[in-house]
Amino acid sequence: MDEKTAQRFIERYEEARSALPGAGGWLARRREAALESFREAGLPHRRLEDWKYTDLRQTLEKAAFASAPAHEGAVVLPGRRSASAFAAIDRHVLVFVNGRYRTDLSQVVRLPKGVELHALADVVHEQWAKDLVERRFDDARQAENIVDLNTALMSDGACLRIRKGVKLDKPLHLLFFSADAGASHTRNLVFLENEAEATILETHVGEVASFADIVTDIAIGEGARLNHVKLQDEASDAVHLATMRARLAAEAKLSSFTLTLGCGVSRGQSFVLFSGEGAEANIDGAYALRDKQHADQFCVIDHAVPACTSHTLFKGVLDGKSVGVFQGKVIVRPHAQKSDGRQMTHALLLSRDAAMNAKPELEIYADDVQCAHGSTVGELSKEAIFYLRSRGIPEAEARRLLVLAFLEEVLDLAPHNQAKDALKLLVSEWFGEAAP
Amino acid sequence: MLEIKNLHVTVGGKEILKGIDLDIRAGEVHAIMGPNGSGKSTLSYVLAGRDGYVVTEGSIRFKGKDLLEMNVDERAAAGVFLAFQYPLEIPGVTTMTFLKTALNAQRKARGEEELDAVRFLKLVREKSRPLNVSDDMLKRSLNVGYSGGEKKRAEVLQMSLLEPALAVLDETDSGLDIDALKTVAEGVNALRSPERAMVVITHYQRLLDYIVPDVVHVLSQGRIVKTGGKDLALELEKSGYVEYGADAA
Repeated sequence: MDEKTAQRFIERYEEARSALPGAGGWLARRREAALESFREAGLPHRRLEDWKYTDLRQTLEKAAFASAPAHEGAVVLPGRRSASAFAAIDRHVLVFVNGRYRTDLSQVVRLPKGVELHALADVVHEQWAKDLVERRFDDARQAENIVDLNTALMSDGACLRIRKGVKLDKPLHLLFFSADAGASHTRNLVFLENEAEATILETHVGEVASFADIVTDIAIGEGARLNHVKLQDEASDAVHLATMRARLAAEAKLSSFTLTLGCGVSRGQSFVLFSGEGAEANIDGAYALRDKQHADQFCVIDHAVPACTSHTLFKGVLDGKSVGVFQGKVIVRPHAQKSDGRQMTHALLLSRDAAMNAKPELEIYADDVQCAHGSTVGELSKEAIFYLRSRGIPEAEARRLLVLAFLEEVLDLAPHNQAKDALKLLVSEWFGEAAP
Repeated sequence: MLEIKNLHVTVGGKEILKGIDLDIRAGEVHAIMGPNGSGKSTLSYVLAGRDGYVVTEGSIRFKGKDLLEMNVDERAAAGVFLAFQYPLEIPGVTTMTFLKTALNAQRKARGEEELDAVRFLKLVREKSRPLNVSDDMLKRSLNVGYSGGEKKRAEVLQMSLLEPALAVLDETDSGLDIDALKTVAEGVNALRSPERAMVVITHYQRLLDYIVPDVVHVLSQGRIVKTGGKDLALELEKSGYVEYGADAA
């Protein structure tokens, strides 16, 4: 193992080991095992099919991130509007600065009985947390292997457990803010027992060279429902790596929507496993990229049992020299009859130098299923721009209208109305900023 | 209002208009008739400023200004309106949003105050009623799923709202049944005024029964080969374009 960057992460583990949550218990052993796997696999690179379009190894080597320092005292959120996009929503807020939970900045008032919300260190002794952390999906090992880095180094995170039949009274907002340059490793755990319900909003903002490594492990019980809206808008020299792994029991429903306004290099990975019949997962997203931003969305849905429904739609616009990636796979196991899986991706190139790589795949081993996938890459229609301009609408405004019209369909899938409106406003303003 | 002198235009390297002279004064309605391929649509696109239509010679002055110096949206704000033969469908942009954006963009370009939502809504309702444009149509994506007649009514609604000084109607009669044609023609006639000029481009005389022109020009092979009064259109209906160099259609 001659990889300098991977070696640095390993050294960091050695230094931090005794201070990491779970020292001395099962988690310490789990961390050792994960580190060993990471040591063998190293950081992913483009020769791996799952990382064909995003070279994380090279990206991290170039950036050479140190550990993000602990940040004490007051913080000033960046001026960019993403930081306050969800501010008008009545919600609970957990704030993480440089990957560390800050009680003093958070605001969680009177959670309903049956809702447990803790930082990672406070739940590692519990069985449900252990179950979530130890669970692997193994549908796309090359992509999932990078979770080992997180398992070894995870230092904090939001852990939410909702008891049977309990409904979270208002959305829980996880606000991740990078105040100082450096790497942070965050692990969020979400466990909804049967018939429980919750909405989670998630924001990642920062204006520094940060490497945010986030893994969110989710288990959704029978008939339970999780809505999730994520917004990511970080600095041009930041790297964002987020993995969501969700297991759905019978009749469970997960709706997850991500708006990526991006950063230097971002990769969002979603793994969904259906473990009970009649469950439904919607994994959707929009992205708007410019300059040299690179955003990769990777999505695997495993129809392991019959009669589940999955829907994936990613739509984005790419300006400047930005690069977009969509790699997705819907797997339908041999006995998973009556599965309904759809995976679509559409991109608009706003500049000749922008590029999109799309690779949706279906792996179907059952015969009585409805599955579809598709991908398009196009440009704004010159005729449409001419038509709008011929009515007096200036070119920049005409382009903005057409871009918003293109993204509207997917933004409408964000599973929380106020959050959806906030995202639409952000996208509208994004285009205004891009105009010369 | 519109003075076209010795206009030569090429499209994709091929000369389509070969020296057009046209003088249109405020209050007049001119019809331009001609066979397919004579250059009628080219003339309308050159007036609107579409890319790919290259003026190699000649000039166009609009209200005393050089029209060719202005870009597409500047021309619109200055008062040029082209009703399209095939209006485009724009999924995701509602007709209402489109109308409001267009009207306010033009008002802004002219240094006029933009209309707020309430005043705009009142105005658009007032203009929609005589054209049978329903609220439902206004809420739908622009031209998406509209019938041929609805698309043309929507074009006339845009014209009525934007109140251009010069309206160019490109084959507005194409694809319309007689009832739709009457509705559209009534809408156009309601906009005739001493301050406004209109150019009605058509292959067939039928439309001119309803929108009666002051002057009729025959365009053939890129040139205006004959100019006359409204009776010229009736003559053409009988004899066709054969004597003007077109194949018998």
